[in-house]
Amino acid sequence: MNACTLIAKKERRALLQNQRGLAWLLAYSGILSAFALLLISNQELSLLDNAQVVYMMAGTVTAAGALIAVIMGADAYAGERERGTLVPLLTAPISTVELLMGKAAGLASAWGIMYLLAIPYLWAVGAGGQNLGQAIFYLGLFGTPVVLGFGYLAMALSARSGSVMSSLLTSLIVLLFSASPLLIGPGLRNSAVGKALDAVNPFSGALNTYDAVIIDSDPLTSQLGRLALVLIWLGLMFGVARLSARRPVFR
Amino acid sequence: MKHFKYLLTSLLLLSSSLATAASLQLQLQSDTANPTHPTMGDWMHFNSVITNTGQQPIEGLVAWISLVEVTPGKEQPMDLEDWSAHKAVTGTTLQSDASLQTQWPMRLIQSGDYRVVISATDRNNKTVFTSPTLQFHVAQKPVVESARILPVALGIPLLIGGLLGVQKFRRRHKTG
Repeated sequence: MNACTLIAKKERRALLQNQRGLAWLLAYSGILSAFALLLISNQELSLLDNAQVVYMMAGTVTAAGALIAVIMGADAYAGERERGTLVPLLTAPISTVELLMGKAAGLASAWGIMYLLAIPYLWAVGAGGQNLGQAIFYLGLFGTPVVLGFGYLAMALSARSGSVMSSLLTSLIVLLFSASPLLIGPGLRNSAVGKALDAVNPFSGALNTYDAVIIDSDPLTSQLGRLALVLIWLGLMFGVARLSARRPVFR
Repeated sequence: MKHFKYLLTSLLLLSSSLATAASLQLQLQSDTANPTHPTMGDWMHFNSVITNTGQQPIEGLVAWISLVEVTPGKEQPMDLEDWSAHKAVTGTTLQSDASLQTQWPMRLIQSGDYRVVISATDRNNKTVFTSPTLQFHVAQKPVVESARILPVALGIPLLIGGLLGVQKFRRRHKTG
């Protein structure tokens, strides 16, 4: 087993068998449960169309997934440094690229677990309605690059900054700004500035695709531009993380 | 004689303006495949025919669909954002006596009484032409069922919380 796989396994174990990782998963499921319970506790929300509810849940899953990815990414290097385990890792017979690949794979498997956890929630709110299958498929196709991209951004900041707190705060600010379309509806983003931000914001790209395919039943061919946007985001953030992780700050 | 001249000039001006003014006739019908008792979540289709009844071709025709809620006490124009992705036909040229047939799909998002209407105008004239309205009632359907949500929303956090408890117990058992 190579070093990269070993690190990826360690990261995945940290999520599933470690108290801190389980607490993150509990927080993640708590966010989804709170949203689901809100739907049945409010009469107006309980009458919303199935597709609308599934769209909202897909957006919430992406935001909550990106939040956990940012926390994990911020912890990747700065956390090791604060726990005093970064220097032993860097002096071990493992290249910085292998270390990054291991951390990135661990993050990807953590998102895999979160994605699997989201499926029962999507089923619960959307069974019997339209496009539930599409919602699950497009959450994987568009949610994965968005969530992992935010994780890699936090990882890049974590490798270069002095503490978990500073990399976490910076990543959270970027995430909050990017996820603002969750609060500002498409109608309000219809200005020139809103459209320009939507064109470059990967979070908006994913949300607009969920809207188009889940509510309006649009085909994948109409979403290729947005798919390119989220894939570019993923590639760019991985590149930034790779550059930062070449020489992580270890003092 | 002088009055006759003014009258003739006015008539000539009126007739020339009538000849150049756009004239559209709009028809709107509910599709035969539409549900007889529409419920939230159903699809409805409306078929419109826009005919240029004037002498001149119409350039830059714009036709759009509007929806108004007329439920007693809730009268309001509706934002079609989630109801329809096909909200307008734009930039079409319509020759004299030619017709434009359009189908307007709509997904019924909320319950209530609604009226749908098609409006049309063109680039050069200020007149807006409207079709007759069609009224329909959308029956309420609770779509989010607590029987499905409660087991998932409570079960998954409880499961993860249980795993967390087991971890804590094992750790305490090991160190203890």
